[in-house]
Amino acid sequence: MGNLGQVHQLVVTLFGFNMVFNLEAIFMTWVVFGFLLLFGMLTTRKRDFVPRRFQIVGEMIVGQFYQLTEDALDRKGAEKYGPMICSLFLFMLLSNWLGIIPHLEEPTKDLNTPLALGLMGFVVAHYAGIKSKGFKAYAREYFQPMFFMMPLNVIGEMAKIVSISFRLFGNIMGGSIIILVVSHLTYSLLLPPLLNAFFGLFVGTIQAFVFTMLTVVYISVQIK
Amino acid sequence: MDPVTLTKLAANVGAGLCIGFGAVGAAIGEGYTAAEANLAVSRNPKISGDLFKNMLVGQAVAESASIFALVIAILLLFVDSPGSGEIKAAALFGAGLSMGFGAIGSGLGSGFPGGKACVGISRQPAVSSRLTTNMLIGSAVSQTPAIFSMVVALMLIFMDFSTQPLQPTWAALIGAGLSTGMAAIGSGIGGGLAAGASCDSIARQPRTAGQVTTTMLVGQAVAQTPSIFGLLVSFILMFKSFPAATSVSASMALLSAGICMGFGGIGPGIGNGMTAEGAVRWVARNIEHAGDLMRTMLVGQAVAQSTAIYAMVISLVLIFVV
Repeated sequence: MGNLGQVHQLVVTLFGFNMVFNLEAIFMTWVVFGFLLLFGMLTTRKRDFVPRRFQIVGEMIVGQFYQLTEDALDRKGAEKYGPMICSLFLFMLLSNWLGIIPHLEEPTKDLNTPLALGLMGFVVAHYAGIKSKGFKAYAREYFQPMFFMMPLNVIGEMAKIVSISFRLFGNIMGGSIIILVVSHLTYSLLLPPLLNAFFGLFVGTIQAFVFTMLTVVYISVQIK
Repeated sequence: MDPVTLTKLAANVGAGLCIGFGAVGAAIGEGYTAAEANLAVSRNPKISGDLFKNMLVGQAVAESASIFALVIAILLLFVDSPGSGEIKAAALFGAGLSMGFGAIGSGLGSGFPGGKACVGISRQPAVSSRLTTNMLIGSAVSQTPAIFSMVVALMLIFMDFSTQPLQPTWAALIGAGLSTGMAAIGSGIGGGLAAGASCDSIARQPRTAGQVTTTMLVGQAVAQTPSIFGLLVSFILMFKSFPAATSVSASMALLSAGICMGFGGIGPGIGNGMTAEGAVRWVARNIEHAGDLMRTMLVGQAVAQSTAIYAMVISLVLIFVV
């Protein structure tokens, strides 16, 4: 129990800089990549007008998220951002579910993964904003309602990255800590499978969905 | 006082506060659910069995925040975690405060969807399974702030802080408990408001159920942001190693960083929940403009959130600068 919150790290010194690699997070991300590639191959192999089992699942997921993106961003935006939104959701969903397999851990349990995804959404949203409104109109929004509000507006935008990534991180890491402590106290009897189902499957799905939807809405706030 | 007695004393006081405060919210929330269930039964007595079942399920979910508090109180009373001394005592006391305050909002909040779902089922029995599902999702997401508090409490109980210097660390640990615990009050209530409105709206306009649930989830997620800021401040207070201080002022700065973020999170959480409540209501009535409504909600919440951001900025200044 003493090692709560400890991370295995590999430190490489290169040109006088210490580069730190969180080994578990990197390895588990590769596992998720593997599962995603496998899923993609199964869904697109032997495509047919009358879909087979995997193709149906793939079409349902893609169609659903395309629709959600179109609701928020119109048709043109959906064509552009739909693929990114869909893959973002699938990556996070599998990441959050990975913890229910013994000896595997959620890559989203490491703050760096949600932070990277949050930063990506932030950059995409602001790029979309600058592109659709032009830089001048984009920059002018920071000086609303008064010019001296600028620093606070900038901090408010930064806080979005903090909140979106800590929401995912806190939920996933919180769940895994609760599972760890309860398993330790109950000698892994009875309760842990239920907790895994709740925190891994249920909370994991909801948080992946919330993260994806927030990214969509952040883009749509910047565009409109 | 010898270290073992002091640790025991802190654990006992922490356990008392934990379940004492933790019992407040869930009881009120469950009472609200039961009151609405009475209304529902009087409107549609034919399905009173279904309504009764739904009320009990809703109350059971609302109770989970109090059960978290009970678990932490039992851990504090009966489980010997390693170490003893002043720092351990502060950590255990902080754990009790965190979970005790943290259970108030979520317990209170998740009573709303339970009650509204009962009324909704009496109005529109055809969509009762959809309403129960929505109620369960909504109240489970309202529990998130309580889960954050439980995580902080568990970390405070089981992590080893004994290598840190006593002088600022004790204050940092109590501050960590207060920050997440108090900030969770507002977010829990706010999330519950949004979930309640969504159950209401699905009963009125069953065709809009998918969009209403999506709006509810996004609204609740943003309403949770203050408690996430609280969690962030708690993590910094727990994981940053502070240099040993000679004066008491450094300790007080860390303690007040926690209090600042904790109080600062209450209002924005409730306010954001109200915004989400409004958005959910009107999405159901005007589904064609759901995109505009969600954007307006998000911008409004961002403005209402700015006070939580002020509190976070000040507590980060208290931690890193003062």
